[in-house]
Amino acid sequence: MASVPDSRKNEQLSEEEIALYDRQIRLWGMAAQARMRSARVLLINLGSIGTEITKNVVLSGLGSLTILDNQRVTEEDLSSQFFVGQSDVGSYRLDAARSRVLEMNPRVQINFDTDSFESKEMSYFSGFDLVLGTQMSRDGMIRLNKITRHYGIPLYMAGCNGLFAYIFIDLIQFDAEERKLKSSNATSLGKTSANTEIVGVEDQRQEEGETKYYEIITTRNYFKTFEDVLRTASLAGKLNRRQMKRVSSAVPLTFALFSNKQCQTSGELKREALLACQQLQIPESVLKDSYVEQFFEQAGVEFSPVAAIIGGAVAQDVINILGKRQAPLNNFVVLDGITLDMPILEV
Amino acid sequence: MARESNIVKIVGKENFQRLRSLRCLIVGAGGIGSELLKDCILMGFGEIHIVDLDTIDLSNLNRQFLFRHRDIKQPKSTTAVKAVQHFNNSKLIPYQGNIMDTVQFPLRWFDQFDIIFNGLDNLAARRYVNKIAQFISKPLLESGTSGFDGYIQPIIPGETECFDCTKKETPKTFPVCTIRSTPSQPVHCIVWAKNFLFNQLFNEETSSVDETSTDWGTENKEEIERIRQETNELHELRQIILSRSEEHIKDILTKLFVKDIEKLLRIDNLWKTRTKPAVLAQSLIEDASQAVMSEAQSLSSLWDIREQIIQFFAITKKLMQRVHNGETNIEFDKDDEDTLLFVATAANIRSHIFNIPMKTVFDIKQIAGNIIPAIATTNAIIAGLSTLTALRVLNLLPYEPTKKSTDLNMAFTAKASNLSKDRYITNPKLAPPNPSCPVGGKVCRGVIKITQEGLNEIKLSKLITIIRQKYQYPEEISVVDTNNQRLLADFDFDDLMERTLSQVNLHDGSVILFSDEEGTAEATYRKSLELYIEVIDGSLEGGIRLPDVEVPTIAVPQNIADIDHAEKKQEKSINDESVIDVDFDEKSEAPCAKRRAPEKAPENALKRVRKDEEYVDGLIELD
Repeated sequence: MASVPDSRKNEQLSEEEIALYDRQIRLWGMAAQARMRSARVLLINLGSIGTEITKNVVLSGLGSLTILDNQRVTEEDLSSQFFVGQSDVGSYRLDAARSRVLEMNPRVQINFDTDSFESKEMSYFSGFDLVLGTQMSRDGMIRLNKITRHYGIPLYMAGCNGLFAYIFIDLIQFDAEERKLKSSNATSLGKTSANTEIVGVEDQRQEEGETKYYEIITTRNYFKTFEDVLRTASLAGKLNRRQMKRVSSAVPLTFALFSNKQCQTSGELKREALLACQQLQIPESVLKDSYVEQFFEQAGVEFSPVAAIIGGAVAQDVINILGKRQAPLNNFVVLDGITLDMPILEV
Repeated sequence: MARESNIVKIVGKENFQRLRSLRCLIVGAGGIGSELLKDCILMGFGEIHIVDLDTIDLSNLNRQFLFRHRDIKQPKSTTAVKAVQHFNNSKLIPYQGNIMDTVQFPLRWFDQFDIIFNGLDNLAARRYVNKIAQFISKPLLESGTSGFDGYIQPIIPGETECFDCTKKETPKTFPVCTIRSTPSQPVHCIVWAKNFLFNQLFNEETSSVDETSTDWGTENKEEIERIRQETNELHELRQIILSRSEEHIKDILTKLFVKDIEKLLRIDNLWKTRTKPAVLAQSLIEDASQAVMSEAQSLSSLWDIREQIIQFFAITKKLMQRVHNGETNIEFDKDDEDTLLFVATAANIRSHIFNIPMKTVFDIKQIAGNIIPAIATTNAIIAGLSTLTALRVLNLLPYEPTKKSTDLNMAFTAKASNLSKDRYITNPKLAPPNPSCPVGGKVCRGVIKITQEGLNEIKLSKLITIIRQKYQYPEEISVVDTNNQRLLADFDFDDLMERTLSQVNLHDGSVILFSDEEGTAEATYRKSLELYIEVIDGSLEGGIRLPDVEVPTIAVPQNIADIDHAEKKQEKSINDESVIDVDFDEKSEAPCAKRRAPEKAPENALKRVRKDEEYVDGLIELD
């Protein structure tokens, strides 16, 4: 099971840290804040999404963050990344970003690594508690997930296609605890969805002026590897008829772009998307031609607002699982930036 | 490839040129505002103006990513603009000021913008910007966050719901008797210590109670009499503070936590269904008065009752010293640690007496200061949604032309707010304006242009006459200055008629409301008309020009004063138990994240609202 070592967990936060993190400690508590400080996280690629994730986790007071990126700043980067500027074009992204990232929060240990992901031996990854891969190729994603599975490390991977974006999550297996007021019907053990199961219910009594009864519910989340998702993803039986009809075109098109084939025309992309509809078992009628055209033109395109939403969602879930607050994302999220649809799909 | 190539792939060449020529306004440079600024720059808006009146505080740095430790106490707007220079590609104009200041930001100043983004933290400013957007008919992207919760709402004047079309949560209040006689939760004791005790002892200016508007929350005469008497007796305690007699701090404790409680215990009726309070043991007071101050205690750990009393002694001494040094009136401020410690220890001692759990100073600070949790991720997501939606509002997506405004979506965080397990965001379509909304639906609206001479020479009677003629109002009308809800004229009030407009205190930025009070024989009424007074330089024929707007007749009278009145009555009956205003000071980045249940989850949303009410005041706007 994926877990985070607690080397510094028991160390108390200083008064200064409490003052700095005041507005978030009030949300997730001192214990979660202290646990976050012990986490060692790897981020692959400091593109638009990586930039947003970095900002969010560094501000929130993570223990240590290693950023792996061997790319150099291009003109295009300037329209979606705020750690780099015109005068940095041509230099390593990490060299350009270094001082700006560091000064955001001197308490966070940040390492910058300008090697390529491909050049890293498997053992390199064993030292991390959590890995975040952004804007990677299909093959890179498959390889990275094999490595994280090998070491039992939780993994998030995210990417964007212009107005559209996705998050894939593989925490291997994760138990989330949730406390709620006990109702007349006691919660029972068993499956609650395709990937989740309630494995424990404990009663708790608390005096808060009056006596209140709570249930502590442990929900086990199961995950699949990325390769497995590409091969077997299906929505059959997971959505009702109305939901089926309303699935965004962005869902099959996101899968179509993961296909092995390099689509040279929008017609080819549409064929791939129709195949994705078949595999997902959603009606082909969800696929709109205007979306096919946009995906074709915007494949891999970075866009600041979309990166902000996806980078925010990834960072929030990372903070959430490090603090062990509530149920994690499971296991595929798609953003349709036109309608603002953002379903969480168990595929 | 060029810098803009990615954006051109999304909006097309032509629209990109348009985007580069657009001018946007960001109101607020805090949590959402700094994110909006970054997104608007990267997207390529031609010109970005950003307004904030605030300066930077340490507790901002966990999310307002453009600010550093060295920037503390610097203005937010100008600091933000300096911090984005390395990636900036737009014309940026910062302003330090209050967006509601009509001198710095007159209506014509707003008129230059193509779109307005709100990144505000309080209801008053949200309402104001909403109203301005309605006057000048400019699209507004409203947004807010509170902890994990956030929302965006595009507002297209005349076409979609405005900010005031849905009811907003109002400040939470408690009945007097709960606070003064029968507390049952920590918050009751905190309100007692902060709003009542602290002001009685340290602030004469705010300590007087207006009893005429008081809802006691009880019919028990004996109890009301006791509360009155207790208040009078507290004036004696104020004398102890003023005379700086430290040896009498014991007497304060004895009065508050022994004698007053004994009196309370004598009212049998109160304790038939409640647990009786237990007076504070005199030995504890004696013991603490002798105790040597222990070393500094952590504000985030829970102190025992002995420690609370020792700290109460120490902090009361310190505050006495401040009074002696000339601060005759001290105001509670959550960031003034002396005042916070006094309120925290007094509240905790009272809690102890009433068998209520005590709280850490850290927790009490949140309740007394109404601190709203705020994090980087929610702000980033909300600002991203806001700027993304702006593309559709401005009709910049070539594949998805905006046919009608009600096809646009608003958005709420769903997963993070525990409203949904299978949607990260819920995205209901925008609704048309609410016909009974006092801002968006019920009135017609326009701008009166007037010269300074016009303002100085035109009499109120003349203004009424020309308005009546132009828009065909009947004889009986009413005119209200809406900036301060002041009646200027109606059928039985004509005292001001012969004064000039400047004499009745109308000026640049005033808004008057003109209403039909008569109707026709067919019982139809002319719709009410709200007019913004804009003072312009240069000359105008007759010194004044009325706007060309259609003012139709309708079936029901539309007197806004009446509507306001009716609503207030309704609120009063809803909050009938409520009288002590919890006038907390910190403002939320979201007054109303829950104000509307997202589609498909109405029950959950409802439950959630209830839960938030339990969570003291986290989401409730307390201006």
